[in-house]
Amino acid sequence: MNSTAATAQMHAEVLVIGSGAGGATTAAVLAQAGFDVLIVEEGEWIEQGSVVPFSLQQMDFQYRAGGVTVALGLPSIAYTEGRCAGGGTEINSGLYRRPPEDLLQRWATDFCINDLRPEEVMSIANEVEQVISVSLVPGPPSAPSDVLRRGAERLGWQNSEIPRWMKYASGDASSGQRQSMTRTYLPQAASHGARLVTGCRIDQLQMADGKATRATTTLGDGRHGTIDFRHVFVCGGAIQSPALLQRSRIAGYIGRSLAVHPTVKLTARFADELNVPGDVPVHQVKEFAPDLSFGGSASQPGLVALALSDQWRTFSRAITDWRRMSIYYAAITSEGRGRVRAVRGLRDPIVTYALTRRDRALLGSGLSRLALLMLEAGADEVYPSFRGAPVVRNRRDLATMQSTFSAAKASVMTVHLCSTVPMGEDTRRCGANSFGRVHDTTNVWVNDASLLPTAPGVNPQGTVMALAIRNARRFAATERPRG
Amino acid sequence: MGEQFASPAVTVVTGATGWLGQALVHRLLADPSRRRLRLLAQSTSEGRRLESLGNVEVVIGDITKPDTAARLLYGIGADVDVIHTVGIIHPKRTRQFLEINVNGTRNVAEAALDHGVRRLVHVSSNSPFGTNAQTSDSFRATEPYHPYLNYGWSKMEGELAVLDAVTHGLDATIVRPPWFYGPFQPPRQTTFFRLVRAGKFPVVGDGEQRRSMVYIDNLVDGLIAAELTPAAKGRCYWVADARAYTVNEIVATVGRALHDEGFTVKEPSARLPALAGRVAELGDRVVQRLGRCQQQLHVLGEMNHTIACDISATCSELGYEPRVELYEGMRSSIRWCVEQGLEL
Repeated sequence: MNSTAATAQMHAEVLVIGSGAGGATTAAVLAQAGFDVLIVEEGEWIEQGSVVPFSLQQMDFQYRAGGVTVALGLPSIAYTEGRCAGGGTEINSGLYRRPPEDLLQRWATDFCINDLRPEEVMSIANEVEQVISVSLVPGPPSAPSDVLRRGAERLGWQNSEIPRWMKYASGDASSGQRQSMTRTYLPQAASHGARLVTGCRIDQLQMADGKATRATTTLGDGRHGTIDFRHVFVCGGAIQSPALLQRSRIAGYIGRSLAVHPTVKLTARFADELNVPGDVPVHQVKEFAPDLSFGGSASQPGLVALALSDQWRTFSRAITDWRRMSIYYAAITSEGRGRVRAVRGLRDPIVTYALTRRDRALLGSGLSRLALLMLEAGADEVYPSFRGAPVVRNRRDLATMQSTFSAAKASVMTVHLCSTVPMGEDTRRCGANSFGRVHDTTNVWVNDASLLPTAPGVNPQGTVMALAIRNARRFAATERPRG
Repeated sequence: MGEQFASPAVTVVTGATGWLGQALVHRLLADPSRRRLRLLAQSTSEGRRLESLGNVEVVIGDITKPDTAARLLYGIGADVDVIHTVGIIHPKRTRQFLEINVNGTRNVAEAALDHGVRRLVHVSSNSPFGTNAQTSDSFRATEPYHPYLNYGWSKMEGELAVLDAVTHGLDATIVRPPWFYGPFQPPRQTTFFRLVRAGKFPVVGDGEQRRSMVYIDNLVDGLIAAELTPAAKGRCYWVADARAYTVNEIVATVGRALHDEGFTVKEPSARLPALAGRVAELGDRVVQRLGRCQQQLHVLGEMNHTIACDISATCSELGYEPRVELYEGMRSSIRWCVEQGLEL
């Protein structure tokens, strides 16, 4: 699919803002149903393979603000957002989890979501799994992934390989090609006539009586322009979508309930070389799920240095040994809440997040359990990512580690951002209706991770895609293309 | 679980006059396959009391002295199991934690290693692991140490002393009981019944925090299973009742047990905000830093938290099956107090 250059004045029947897991699927469904669809993406089209996956260079090209975005709080939580054609699907771990069925049921009840039928969502998930080739790694797992499996087995903890949306050219884990949006739903949308414009930012939606009529834009060269449309789907992700609605003065429950999976990290050093710079582990430890999960992180040398930097004075000497090291995380489902607030004059919204007492305790015990798992898997040394952390070599050191840990001293980060425009009929806690139309508007839809009523406790892309397709189909069944 | 050891020629018990020790000795005395019992007592008067129970050998000594453990094992062959129940939980001075729980245990482990005993069973605690991060969490069989104050630290060091001896060839198994209850209880536990009777047991927060507990006879079952299961060498096991109870359930069940044993029980009225628990915990830390222990502060500080453990590995690997639950166990505990003439 080729993207076309943005022009100052554009028109579309349906404007889709954002081209990630939500936007690409929305565009594909609506284009196929005969709507005239224009997808507008703020980032650029970066061909897969033109930057090294999971590298610092990739952060420059494909992440918002070079990957340095922070939710303020004590501690502040670093987060990352994709900003490129395909959005987060181009840069994330590629791990696929089905929407948890019991969770869908709970959402439907707790948030009064009409017609949220688990069997329908599961059948959509089946289709998605075909399109993006969800599959297991052929052959043995990579060494860093096997660390998780081995440690968990020794402890008797549940673990499993998480499938990915990958096509493998050969029977080898390293031959995988990610089936991100630029390879799947965006070309599918284009084949039905959808147009994609990159390098174009939407500044605001002009509203009149609950109806959006025009979007104002900023193009790559700084010029401003407009897009006219009948319907608009906002699919910019859980930070950008609520921020755009707020800039457009759309009131309601928007940006008030940011949910994330806060994670803390450690680096483990082994006797043998195991670092795989261009990939991430596919095993996850689910013994304590959904509250607490363990997995592996990207471990490029630059990222290893970053992970050691919290206690650089004593940890830095280890960096020369990065080939024997790999980074792992402990993620929790948080009881805390965050906010997204667009501020006039600032390009990006102010994001805040507050962890609860229980969240902090769970991060500490999670990091400790993860360190124990590393020792069981045979790690010689474990370097936890928090200020004042000790090097952990044995069981006694784990006690020292947990007694020195505090969440305020840790590098807490997150990738799974959601719930800023929760869907449902309960307007006290939902920003959009049961199918994503923003309450008190007639033609503004949100269709991305913002809609998930709570953080799902699993990698959310599968859930985001299935819900987006459900909502887009509902739209196509009730609104007619002008044709 | 695989094959079982037969009872050894000699069974050695330390801490035989303690709460757990007494229950264990009574069980062993009732078992005809236990041919010889050798017990450690702290004084001649304690020794005489033990000798009155039946056919036992008594060694008088102080476990904190290095030669005591060697004397305890002197003159008996290698077909001997040692069950080490000595421990201190509410001392006057915090240094007693070090002397008894750490040095005492190291003395026993080293003597057992030198002697070449068949199996040492060491009684540890939940305290080396602190508290669960959230109400729904349970400690698995293997967890990272996160000791709760000095007691927890001393029990962790005790475990490490045993595990260190295991790396040098000792055959040992560690049993971790949480809060236990039942006959032979020390006087401090009657306070618990009195508070519940008066409706004044301090429930901290919403009372939904969970606590694993173990009825004393369940614990004795677990100790013996750990002693007699060959495959348990070098392993650690939680021994607790089948499930953890919420604090609300504990208070209500004890109230019901007291009522059914003929006591009048007032409606529970003592609710404390979660903050009170945190203040008590802080107070406990400060007092302990000064080298002292204050029992009420300690208990109240811990009441705020969930301490729950998962016994599934104990059941599958040791064939342990907890037979008694809270209501039944509390009734027999109350009856025992009445028989002893204790005021409830």
